[in-house]
Amino acid sequence: MATAVVARPAARPQPRARDEEVLVWPDLVFVEFISALVFTLAIFALSLLINAPLLDEANPDLTPNPSKAPWYLLNLQELLLHMQPALAGVIVPTVWLVIMAAFPYFDQDNEGQGVWFGTENSVRLTVVSTVVAVVGTWLLILWDTGKIAEFMHDWFGISGGRQLAFLENVRALESQLPWPEWSRKIPYLWFDLKILDEGYTGLGPTSFHYLNLPAFLVEQAIPIAAMVGLPSLLIYALWRIGWVNTRRDALIVLFTGFVAVFGVLTVVGTAFRGAGQELVWPWQLEVHEGLPGE
Amino acid sequence: MAVEQPTRPTLADRIYDKLFHNYIWKSIFRTGYPNTPRNQMLIVATNVFLHLHPTRIHRTHVKITHTYCLGGLSFFMFLGLTVTGILLMFYYVPSVDRAYLDIQNIQTNVQFGQLMRNMHRWMAHAMVILVFLHMMRVFYTGAYKPPREFNWVVGVILLVLTFLLSFTGYLLPWDQLAFWAITVGTNIAGSAPILGPKTRFWLLGGFEVGQESLIRFYTLHVIGLPLLAAIFMAVHFWRIRRDGGLARPL
Repeated sequence: MATAVVARPAARPQPRARDEEVLVWPDLVFVEFISALVFTLAIFALSLLINAPLLDEANPDLTPNPSKAPWYLLNLQELLLHMQPALAGVIVPTVWLVIMAAFPYFDQDNEGQGVWFGTENSVRLTVVSTVVAVVGTWLLILWDTGKIAEFMHDWFGISGGRQLAFLENVRALESQLPWPEWSRKIPYLWFDLKILDEGYTGLGPTSFHYLNLPAFLVEQAIPIAAMVGLPSLLIYALWRIGWVNTRRDALIVLFTGFVAVFGVLTVVGTAFRGAGQELVWPWQLEVHEGLPGE
Repeated sequence: MAVEQPTRPTLADRIYDKLFHNYIWKSIFRTGYPNTPRNQMLIVATNVFLHLHPTRIHRTHVKITHTYCLGGLSFFMFLGLTVTGILLMFYYVPSVDRAYLDIQNIQTNVQFGQLMRNMHRWMAHAMVILVFLHMMRVFYTGAYKPPREFNWVVGVILLVLTFLLSFTGYLLPWDQLAFWAITVGTNIAGSAPILGPKTRFWLLGGFEVGQESLIRFYTLHVIGLPLLAAIFMAVHFWRIRRDGGLARPL
């Protein structure tokens, strides 16, 4: 005799009123069919109108300036300009993906699911986070490219002179301040720890022995402080004025901020970075090809 | 009292009958159009392509503004990319001597080759955007909450796989755009502390982008990553069903 095995849902769905339900055929299947059709036609039309790009054959001896990664990685390429490469290119995205994957384990409350912006303050939190993140990211980029100092000088005739030159961008903190010689070589291990010599970079193995304090501040400490501190500050401020009350609220600020920053960095990396990764207007974008170093 | 007499079948009736009530048609489609609720549920439950769905869902979930079909469309892009990708594979050889010429050949000598390549490229961009928007939809509707925690994690993995699929495909045309984008992209990976240079070497199969990188990216692009993505998609969809469909307010 065969025994009937009844599959049991891993988590029991809530009891539902039958009269609130519709049949998948035709109500859902047709919606799916139509959206698939619309997209097929749209992609078809797009493909008839615009050809996929194809430049000259790959030539390792001819470096385009600027060289750019695919557009969805240009946010990371933009970050690379402002901090240590390992931090921008690998650690930040990895840590962020882990944080994002951990969202549901941080916010386990059932409230506000299944509807758009289902909790009380979610809409205004989203709007405020978007505005703050977009404006803030642009300001940080403009500052770190020295554009703000340029504006102040060209438009208002204000100039800090030599004394304030270290404020022009983050790297000026390293180059324009009189750091004592010892601060660039502070030993923190009593032997030189060398790991994995890959050689080809000419840099040799990763070495752990000395700390270059100004470089560490500029390349790692300040960027990390900004990336952790500014969102925390925003969440704190919104908590103080009573808009952030739950973990869900905090996540809305964090996630919205991420989406906005991701968007701004992608747009800047795509449309505002010209030769030598200089910040330019989109209509000034040109790609030069030349031998490396020319 | 006049009894209504059956009318003689018209020509259209007879053609319809010949087309849809013959032995071969019935062997393929066992039932006609499902026009009763019972048959409509049966067809969803028993059809191999439709049985991913439940037989009935809450009426708010068929509203287009609830999901904008973003997840479904991401999957649809994956299917479309598979079809156009297979067609492109007929003409493309992943060798540094041939790859670029093959792409030119596809564009100029192959019937609908340019169209196929265009569709593959634009669908790939569309998929990256749709997957990202789908993630935003799930977040802002609070759909990651219990019992769907792990499915959100699976979704994050699928997001990464989508980026990787797009990234590995980027090299294949072997033009200046492809070559330097991958050089820049793998340099980013190479900057990782300690393991970076090793990772870059494994990705490229060498110190520079070359033949070894092309064959690695090609293999990952056409079989490795799609298989992995298909497995995670299966888990993703299955768990939606197991968790009782889309999230609903308590």
